[in-house]
Amino acid sequence: MFAGPAFHPSSEIQPPIAPPCDVDDLAFGELYEGNLSLLVAIAVRKFQVPEVDAEGLAHEVFLSYLKRKNEIRQLHPWLIGAICHACRYFWRQNGRRTDQLDQELAMLRPDPDSINIFDLLPSQLAVREVLEALPPRYAQILRMRYYDGYTIREIADYLGVTAKYTQKLVGKCLRMAEQMYNAAPARKKT
Amino acid sequence: MKHSDDLRHLADCPSCRQRFAENVVPFDATRRHEGALKFAAAAARLESERSETMDVAARLRDTPQSEWPRLAESKALRNNAALEQLSNEVRKRLERNPAEALSIANLAASIAESISDTYPPLVIAQIRSTALRDRANALRYLGKLDEAYDAIETAESRLNEFPAAVHDRAIIWFVKAMILAQMDHFDEAERMINAASLIFADVNDSARFLQAGVIHGNLFGRQKRYTEAENLFGDLLKIAVSSGDVETEARLHNNLGYCYVNLGDYTKANIHFSQSIAKFTDLGFAAELARTGRGAGAVLIGKGQFELGCERLRQVRTAFEKLQMPEEAGLCALRIIEAMVERGKTDEARDLATTVVSEFTAAALDTRAIDAVIRLRTSLDADGATAEAVRTVHALVQSLALDESRAS
Repeated sequence: MFAGPAFHPSSEIQPPIAPPCDVDDLAFGELYEGNLSLLVAIAVRKFQVPEVDAEGLAHEVFLSYLKRKNEIRQLHPWLIGAICHACRYFWRQNGRRTDQLDQELAMLRPDPDSINIFDLLPSQLAVREVLEALPPRYAQILRMRYYDGYTIREIADYLGVTAKYTQKLVGKCLRMAEQMYNAAPARKKT
Repeated sequence: MKHSDDLRHLADCPSCRQRFAENVVPFDATRRHEGALKFAAAAARLESERSETMDVAARLRDTPQSEWPRLAESKALRNNAALEQLSNEVRKRLERNPAEALSIANLAASIAESISDTYPPLVIAQIRSTALRDRANALRYLGKLDEAYDAIETAESRLNEFPAAVHDRAIIWFVKAMILAQMDHFDEAERMINAASLIFADVNDSARFLQAGVIHGNLFGRQKRYTEAENLFGDLLKIAVSSGDVETEARLHNNLGYCYVNLGDYTKANIHFSQSIAKFTDLGFAAELARTGRGAGAVLIGKGQFELGCERLRQVRTAFEKLQMPEEAGLCALRIIEAMVERGKTDEARDLATTVVSEFTAAALDTRAIDAVIRLRTSLDADGATAEAVRTVHALVQSLALDESRAS
């Protein structure tokens, strides 16, 4: 059998067919000011990028938009897609730049987590068990409040809800956790 | 509508965007305003250059190709807008004259590497990476794959410091995937094309998403993973239909036809080849139409449907003759000759070879092509020609045809 012709190749990489979204030249400043907060919010809340870096990333997303402007059909999906991938790339780069641990120094300094480990371990295991059994959103709220040390205000910002509602939410999560803790068969006997 | 903080929803819902962005980050108002001013200044500069820059295509036409490198000194070409036009000129020439495309890409790369640093650093990085990407692509078309790979790696490295150059990076990965595929590094090519596709989908670049999908499907095809290719092309076809991209639709039907032939489902293959031919007919892409037909005919012969395949190839050969493409017509004939030799129909093969010699001579094609077909005919006269010998002549004629188009 002779070598038949292969698949039809894709035509060479071309800009999108549809017309670009319409951005008036004079509206560039407004475009920037009107969307900067959104991009920074996505970087900070969805990707935990530090605020200063998030602003830098958002600014660069706008700059990179200028070169591709004529190909972009819908502005907001493009901006949001770009900031998300920019954040991922940022973390990939940032992760690589993390300093390696000094092994000798690490041997000399005790791990703070292992102090009183035998006293604390049973409670920690019980809490972990309860957290794992909670619905993911409840578990995340409790982790943020009691493990990561976020304030009610910060958790509210993260969730995009009011502080008052967040306070109620934390109380609800605690009550559910307590019920689960007491309902566990092993502890019922004690 | 259910409102949420889901990113896809945020892209569509202005009120949720506003709510999501509120009360999160305390901004330094001065810094924010400075950022807006810098952005507006960069935008104004790029836009004014785009409206004021000369017609670069005309400048290229008016300058002998041997003097193109000197254009790098021309002040009129040393800006982003001129480089964007040069990039378009490279793209236009890739298919029909990659050597010329490479000359222009080299000119653009030379300008880009020494361009004024008054642009923001990210824009300079985009300008340089685009010029290098075009160079890599031209080298790929010329089969200089190692050089192409080096160029695309350098293009990618220009963007390393800029996480936000997301779309540019994805396009570079796309080109890199094609280079890697040509180098038979399928796994790495697949990884690259997946990464690029993900970004094209997220930034709503449906045209490039489809192109990347076609490349991915072709990768499956080259590895004989026809079921995966068929699934992917089927999914892409739905997207192409819904987005009204008829050209991609036509290419996908052709590729699906090829998958089904290799999977032994000739009925479905026939349906898709017919659809492809119908679409290319509607588009008026006569050469693509003929090439699709040649593919269908050749694969049919390969699968043992000799008469049907030869008949298809004869029709396509006539189409190429009408298009005044004697080399393509001759290549069709050589496919038929190969099939005839495999089935011992030496007399018919010899007659057809004689016709090809006449056609090539009349069209004053490269004498090496004509001599090769004459030698083939002599072998056929002596009953000494094998299918492998015909394939060799086919490959030679094809490569000479490519060389000619590159040298013109």
